[in-house]
Amino acid sequence: MRLLRQELKINRKTFMIWLLCIAFCSVGCIVLYHSLEDSVKELADSYSNMGAMSQAIGMDKLSLATMEGYYGTEIAIVFNLGVAMFAALIGIGMLSKEENGHTAEFLNALPVSRVQIYFEKYAGLLIMIVLFNLIQVVLNYITIVWMNQMFDIDIFVKYHIAAVLMQVEIASVCYMISAITKRTLLGAGLGFAILMFGLEMMCRIIPAIEDAKYITPFYYCNAADIFSSGKLDTTLLGIGCGVTVISIIIGVLAYQKKDIAA
Amino acid sequence: METAKYAIDIQNLTKKYRKTRGVTGLTLQVEEGDVFGFLGPNGAGKSTTIRSILGLLQYQEGEINVLGMDAKKERKKMLMNIGYLPSEVMFYPTMKAKDVIRYAADMRQMDCKAEAEMLCERLQINGEKRIEELSLGNRKKIGIVCAMQHRPKLFILDEPTSGLDPFMQAEFFKLIMEYNKMGTTCFLSSHVLTEIKKYCKHVAIIREGQLVCTDTVENLTKRHGKSVKLVKDGVMEEFLYNGDLNVLFQSFAGHDISDIVIEEPDMEEIFMSYYTK
Repeated sequence: MRLLRQELKINRKTFMIWLLCIAFCSVGCIVLYHSLEDSVKELADSYSNMGAMSQAIGMDKLSLATMEGYYGTEIAIVFNLGVAMFAALIGIGMLSKEENGHTAEFLNALPVSRVQIYFEKYAGLLIMIVLFNLIQVVLNYITIVWMNQMFDIDIFVKYHIAAVLMQVEIASVCYMISAITKRTLLGAGLGFAILMFGLEMMCRIIPAIEDAKYITPFYYCNAADIFSSGKLDTTLLGIGCGVTVISIIIGVLAYQKKDIAA
Repeated sequence: METAKYAIDIQNLTKKYRKTRGVTGLTLQVEEGDVFGFLGPNGAGKSTTIRSILGLLQYQEGEINVLGMDAKKERKKMLMNIGYLPSEVMFYPTMKAKDVIRYAADMRQMDCKAEAEMLCERLQINGEKRIEELSLGNRKKIGIVCAMQHRPKLFILDEPTSGLDPFMQAEFFKLIMEYNKMGTTCFLSSHVLTEIKKYCKHVAIIREGQLVCTDTVENLTKRHGKSVKLVKDGVMEEFLYNGDLNVLFQSFAGHDISDIVIEEPDMEEIFMSYYTK
């Protein structure tokens, strides 16, 4: 567990910076709803009739005139993208930063197996993601309740569970890349998160690439879908969990066979 | 754990990289209690051998046993008994020196406080400084503490004195000799031939990934005969000679010898002789 503690300690600054940034954006947007409420209600109809654009961000399913609709279409988009980028950033650097920073030799010459290194670091990654989400969800919840705008808590929780699974999937794929490469590919990690986010929007608009919903984890944590149907898409969630597990397995196999750079 | 005759026993080790040669068919034994010098120029395969022993590299062929343990199958247990100092020491930049030392001890699940304090005092380490503020020499000193604080049975030291000032080099070898007296085996690679001659009992020389010689330092010196430096017909000549000295003197007949020195060869001459053949 010493390695896990070390990992949490090393990443605490990044964690705090991203936490504050995302909290500022999501809580700020929720608070903003209060002052925008009247004008948003007037515009709600026109927003829902913007064709492809409305489809892409879920305004065809939810109305901006309610906090539920506002949360599902505005806050959730900011939240999903922001936290996915954080998960990608942490995941992509977790193992490769040791080789990039030339500390891998020190770590791997200590009496600890590579499997233990891999899973303790992965546990650190999961703890950070869960903790990050818990704080964010509590902050969002308190803000909404404080504004007397609370909607169905059940779908609120369902959406955030799906969001956590999406982040774990993104982080796991990035972690696998981190186990294979010797350099920290921060750009690739962030690019992967943004690409998946963009793919989700596009596959909602373009019927020809609709099947991309099986690829992008943003699809199953789309708040507009969850809020409007009240349920999670278990097929897509299952695929997402499968991708997570496969990424972990490929990563640990690759890391065990890897030559550790000096 | 079975009783080991050799602290390190490498049989037919072959490690190839994608584009470059590593080591080929290397067989090497280091006896328990020995101070063993591993010599070779840059790129000869010293670090590849060391990193294969530690399981940092995945080698294609061969077997490595350390302290009677299979280096692959019992790696974790083996590493508990090894103190390793890499040639280029690097730790987490934002950590304090004392935290790095404690972290290394914690990872071994050992309380090494007393030994670490003694080592820090002798090596004059300021534990409050952050790694990013330290020079290579000072980082090396932290590395030495991390390698020694758990009193391992085997030291594996890759160019241990690079970056250390002469006072620290002397203190470092003093420590090595003290631990060696207590039973610790020492396997060290170095470019500094004088320290190999001064401190090592056995030596191995590696060239282009292959072992070319392994012997005691004493035998190696004797085997290469004498170092001859002379001025013959106004031209300076230097060579190693291990034949009959009478024959050598006879070969000078008819030449003008204005100066001659015949002495035991130093390690540098022996080392160089393996690379100019």
